[in-house]
Amino acid sequence: MKRWSLALALTASVLPSAALAQAVKPATSKLHVETQYFTLANGLRVVLAKDSIAPTVTVAVYYGIGFRVEPRERTGFAHLFEHLMFQGSKHAPKGVFDTTITNSGGVNNGSTRFDFTNYFEVVPSSALDRMLWLEADRMANPVIDDAVLKNQQGVVGNEIKVNVLNQPYSTWPWIDLPMLANSNWYNSHNFYGELAEVEAATVPDAKSFSEAFYRPSNAVLVVAGDLDYAATRATIEKYFAPIAKKPAVVQPDISEPRQTAERFKSRVDALAPKPGYAAGYHVPARGTPEWYAMGLIDQMLVQGDDSRLYRKIVQETGIAGEIGGGINADLGNMFNYRGPMLWSFSFTHDPTHPTADITKAVDSVIEDLRSKPVSQAELDRARTKLRSSLYGEIDGGGRVGLVDLLASYALFDNDAGAINRIEEGFAKVTPALIQKTAQEYLRSTNRSIYVIEPGAAPGAANPQGGQ
Amino acid sequence: MKRAFLALTALLAATPAFAQDNFPPAPPIAEPKPFKLPATETYSLPNGMLVTLVPYGVAPKVVVSLRVRAGEIVAGDKTWLANLNAEMMKEGAAGRTSADLATAAAGMGGDLDVSAGMQTTSVSTNVLSEYAPAAVALIGDVALHPDLPAGEFVRVKANLDRRLTQALAQPGTLADVALGRTVYGPNHPYGRLLPSQAQFAGYTISDVKAFHDSQFGAKRAHLYIAGRFDAAAVKGAVEKTFGGWAAGPAPVGLASPHLAGPKVVLIDRPDAPQATLRLSFDASLAGSDADIPQRVTNSLLGGAFSSRITTNIREDKGYTYSPYSDVDLSPGDALWTFNADITTDKTGPALAEVFKEIRRMQSEIVGSEESKGIRTYMAGLFAISNSTSSSVVGTLATRDLLGLPANWTDTYVPAVLAVTPEQMMASAKTDYPIGKLTLVVVGDLKTVVPQLKALPELASVPFQTMTVP
Repeated sequence: MKRWSLALALTASVLPSAALAQAVKPATSKLHVETQYFTLANGLRVVLAKDSIAPTVTVAVYYGIGFRVEPRERTGFAHLFEHLMFQGSKHAPKGVFDTTITNSGGVNNGSTRFDFTNYFEVVPSSALDRMLWLEADRMANPVIDDAVLKNQQGVVGNEIKVNVLNQPYSTWPWIDLPMLANSNWYNSHNFYGELAEVEAATVPDAKSFSEAFYRPSNAVLVVAGDLDYAATRATIEKYFAPIAKKPAVVQPDISEPRQTAERFKSRVDALAPKPGYAAGYHVPARGTPEWYAMGLIDQMLVQGDDSRLYRKIVQETGIAGEIGGGINADLGNMFNYRGPMLWSFSFTHDPTHPTADITKAVDSVIEDLRSKPVSQAELDRARTKLRSSLYGEIDGGGRVGLVDLLASYALFDNDAGAINRIEEGFAKVTPALIQKTAQEYLRSTNRSIYVIEPGAAPGAANPQGGQ
Repeated sequence: MKRAFLALTALLAATPAFAQDNFPPAPPIAEPKPFKLPATETYSLPNGMLVTLVPYGVAPKVVVSLRVRAGEIVAGDKTWLANLNAEMMKEGAAGRTSADLATAAAGMGGDLDVSAGMQTTSVSTNVLSEYAPAAVALIGDVALHPDLPAGEFVRVKANLDRRLTQALAQPGTLADVALGRTVYGPNHPYGRLLPSQAQFAGYTISDVKAFHDSQFGAKRAHLYIAGRFDAAAVKGAVEKTFGGWAAGPAPVGLASPHLAGPKVVLIDRPDAPQATLRLSFDASLAGSDADIPQRVTNSLLGGAFSSRITTNIREDKGYTYSPYSDVDLSPGDALWTFNADITTDKTGPALAEVFKEIRRMQSEIVGSEESKGIRTYMAGLFAISNSTSSSVVGTLATRDLLGLPANWTDTYVPAVLAVTPEQMMASAKTDYPIGKLTLVVVGDLKTVVPQLKALPELASVPFQTMTVP
């Protein structure tokens, strides 16, 4: 769902040096991100986070509209609209936005996720003011006409072809599994979009979508990096404060009923040469004690080669060669969504392993976790892995991971400082809470299994034609 | 039309303050502040192993990455033997089972990653800082003393066989394999990216053991440690872990002559919605006088998102999603390739635009705004893409693999900024000789071939079909 698959391998780390003076002992170090958080009169929430890692800044605008809440009969529209936001604004016609960033020595991208659409730039800090100006102009004055719509329908159509239609496994499991596991349309439609519906979108569709969701009160602006707090705040006030205030967006009901019976689906994939097995379980509500427990369960079950499902499915039974998964695994992480979500895992395997045998192997792992308390050592190791991966996320490319966490907590919880309490939440999890959470959420009746039957001959590529 | 658009863009980037309403004028963009890679310390052990320490970042993490010049190029004609060896190395070492190794890495907050590429096998992990010395020991155990247990061999081989099958289902893999075979010939390591399934089935655990015994050694190894760590403790662990490693063989150089174009190579993928393209030309070696100008020229032609080709065939025409070009640099070899997945019935028109953009680079001097812009972009990208420990390790390891001087990381940005529009035009003329192209197309040939035949650039070029694997 990314606008352009540039391999970003970027910057950043966040932990201000004061907080890390004793960082040689990470067991005692704790994530602490210094932030300034404020809301403009028009409702735009702003997070500033200063660091001195590199002479660059990361600017991100997160709008509280994801593919979950997009118009019916216009599947894929949230993503198509993301593309349109790069097509020019009143004071920066088509091409100016991208060229300005390139020519100032930066990179930019955008993406559409379950509950937000984000736009971000990593640029030399000398270009910060211009980035804020550009983002303000496209928030206030996007220019969407038939020419850019038609152009981006072509681009998005090609994106769907390259990622889905010309790819083995295509929508499996990242779109197939939510569609199977959920019953509320908002959670269960094809959010990449049916090609025909993407191609049917009109300029009035885009204008009403923009009008409904792209407003200051439904957005968060994050600026992180080499910045001056007072000056940056003043610049933000200058460009964003004049944008008209509109009421907060009212979210529709996106809740899911408690699942009480296992779901199963299979389909033949014409391009896939091997069978695939995926399973998803609804997770506890974000931010609850059980949700933190689920994050550690994820670590114990599928993250890393020491995890229980890896040991069983890869090492002991040889069913698969690798196993991938997590909470919101395919389109984000366990922090950057609000609403119903799945913990899932998937792998491909040889046809010598029937689905029933695989489910039996999976169940042996899951039921062990549900019936016996985990050891303190295993729980501690899960916390270590989680802490390391959290630091890695935050220390990763272009401060994109840091900015994503700050924006998510600001957008969904109006609390950017919550980033500094993530570790606390995991620290409170006990073996008893793990077991209680596993009992409720790892029930087979809370599970959906989606398998792929191969439709392609192995290595199929028929020589013919040409001359 | 297109030229007018670009001229307008340049003008707007320079003086965008033309608002006629209350929206404030665009603020200026100053020159970027300078960026320098962190200081590094490189030393060698008596057995010849090189060690580079890079204190970097503020998060309490450390990357430990051993690169051994034991990739597929030293596997002879046993393609993927290095890959198979890498997978087997995770199956136990120095008396520790695979579960022990995985648990040890996880307890430090990391994963054990062993992977083989064309040039090297790397053994790496990214752990919490306090475990840096223990991570060095773990990496050493796996690299020097893998058990290579016969009992796990059938399973590991089946996994790779499945990965091979999956790779062959991807149009991009088919295109890459065909391109390698066409440019380097089927008997060169670069010309055989994948083994046949029958060939792979013949590999034995003895082959793997012989590969590890004969190809791994200190003289081929470079250990990179980057992040926050206690340097004295790490140096001690390095000496203790690697000090006794046998020197082993020196790295192998590989001559890689290109088979001459022009050639069009086709692989049929009936009814595919897109054509997957690879368009290649010979390129200049890393570190040669032509190297930096070719990189700048490539960025403007097709490497950057704002490049001319992407602007044209994506942002103007909507023919494709993620086209890009790059210069693939290996020791003693360089190849420029343009990659794209194009909607099937636009394949001919898209290629026509690519040729047009190449000719424009060859015949018109790049304007000063555009040329300065792309140089600034590359300088900025260098800062952005080297600001994590693991990305710095990647940059340094590539520099060392390509035999570039130690100060290359300091001279790269000034060299980029010094490239002139005249050099770019000269580079474009040398780098993209359309009459010598190698073009690979994976797609629905009944639809694509007539479009290709209609292109004047391909009128007298021989077309051939290929079967992969």
